[in-house]
Amino acid sequence: MQTISAVFAYTFKEHLRHKAWLSAALFGLVLLGGAIIVSALGADERARLLLDLGLAAIEAIALVSTVFLTVHLILAEIESRAIFLILTHPVRRADYLLGRFLGTVAAVALGMAGMAAMHLLLLSLYGWWEPLRYAAALGCVLGKTAVMGALSLLLSLALTSEAAAMSFAVFLWMLGHFSSEMRFLADRSGSAFMKTALVAFSHAAPDFARFNYRDFWHQPSPGGEWLFWAGAYALAYAAACLALSVQLFDQKEF
Amino acid sequence: MKGRWLAAAAALFALALFAGARMRRLHEPRFPPLSELKAGPFAFQDAALAAAGFRAPAADLAWIQLLQYAAGSLPEYADHAGHPYEHLSTLSLRVTRLDPSFHRAVLFSAGMLAWFHGVERPDEAAELLNEGMRRSPDQPIYALYLAAIAYQKQGDTGRMIALLESSFDAPETPSTMKAILANLRQSRGEHREALALWERIRASERDRSEHARAKAKIAELRAILSKPSPRAK
Repeated sequence: MQTISAVFAYTFKEHLRHKAWLSAALFGLVLLGGAIIVSALGADERARLLLDLGLAAIEAIALVSTVFLTVHLILAEIESRAIFLILTHPVRRADYLLGRFLGTVAAVALGMAGMAAMHLLLLSLYGWWEPLRYAAALGCVLGKTAVMGALSLLLSLALTSEAAAMSFAVFLWMLGHFSSEMRFLADRSGSAFMKTALVAFSHAAPDFARFNYRDFWHQPSPGGEWLFWAGAYALAYAAACLALSVQLFDQKEF
Repeated sequence: MKGRWLAAAAALFALALFAGARMRRLHEPRFPPLSELKAGPFAFQDAALAAAGFRAPAADLAWIQLLQYAAGSLPEYADHAGHPYEHLSTLSLRVTRLDPSFHRAVLFSAGMLAWFHGVERPDEAAELLNEGMRRSPDQPIYALYLAAIAYQKQGDTGRMIALLESSFDAPETPSTMKAILANLRQSRGEHREALALWERIRASERDRSEHARAKAKIAELRAILSKPSPRAK
């Protein structure tokens, strides 16, 4: 536990000092400013537009920074050979990987919290105030971000190429939003093989479409039990990807 | 011991599948399948945003483009001469296909098609409302507008206006519809009622987009009402 918290603290500070994190946070604030301008064109629906576009900007920035940071997380240390220095200490590889991952997610979450505070302030200026539902939507964005972070880490270790890992991460992000489409296609497919393949894919890919609280905000909202299971899903899926990453990382010879 | 992380991953993945199944059982987002999105000048924009999980923002952008079209500044959808707002229905259906909870898009267009001066195509408005009702059966204002259109077709303008006024303060009622209603009252010579409606528009923060027009209309109606009526002379 001590090792995990030490690696966590070191990773968290490393990210906060990184220009990429700072630029992403600043770009997020610029996007929020853009959301104010665009929402002004929405006439009666100004608050709705500000809410949707602001949350979308937070998610987009969180996704880009998570994928970028986690793909670099281990590969950069392997390339710079800094990993040799770390692993010569009595550090379990699993602890190292978990500390690195959690530090990254915490850094991204901090950026998201900053953007969300700014966004809520702007919304309150337009007379909108639903902090509990907002927190639920933000929690779902964080859940998606954590799952994407774990998937990107796994891909970076499996593919050992940053570009390939990033491309596959974006592909899986898209696929995750197609889960209901895949089930729809499976229902209509005449071939048993195609049906099985589509159902298997729809279950293997992260189910982001149903996780999109931000997107179905204006529809009847799900209850607390749904939020519990959504949290359990994100945790279990991210943990499964992390366990696979540890398996791969354990097999690597440095 | 070598495969213990693999076993842990399998167990965790099974747990994720279980949690996902529970999640799906508890709540089903009401989005039409992407295959329902129609081809058109903005098809790529809609498909790209929807595929990336941004359906609500895609609907918001489609709403802005609908407003641009209504204001006459969307070159991708130019009207033929003598056919005002011929793409209004298409553009509002585009919004609801992206996000069926965007009721205001349907109500705005239906209101303009049925009651906007110089447009008056109630059948097209009714079709649009039926489509909106099919996608969101729990939205009562669609049925109310359909009933108002039925009264309009029967020539019972009084009941039509009374029905439409009953939804005046509903959050989904578009500001444009409120303005149309006030103008309908004025065109029937009901200046006091029209003035009251414009004052309600002016007092509502939600109808900020109509405040400038409301101010001018209030001044105009007050001037009309302050003149002595011909009967008094």
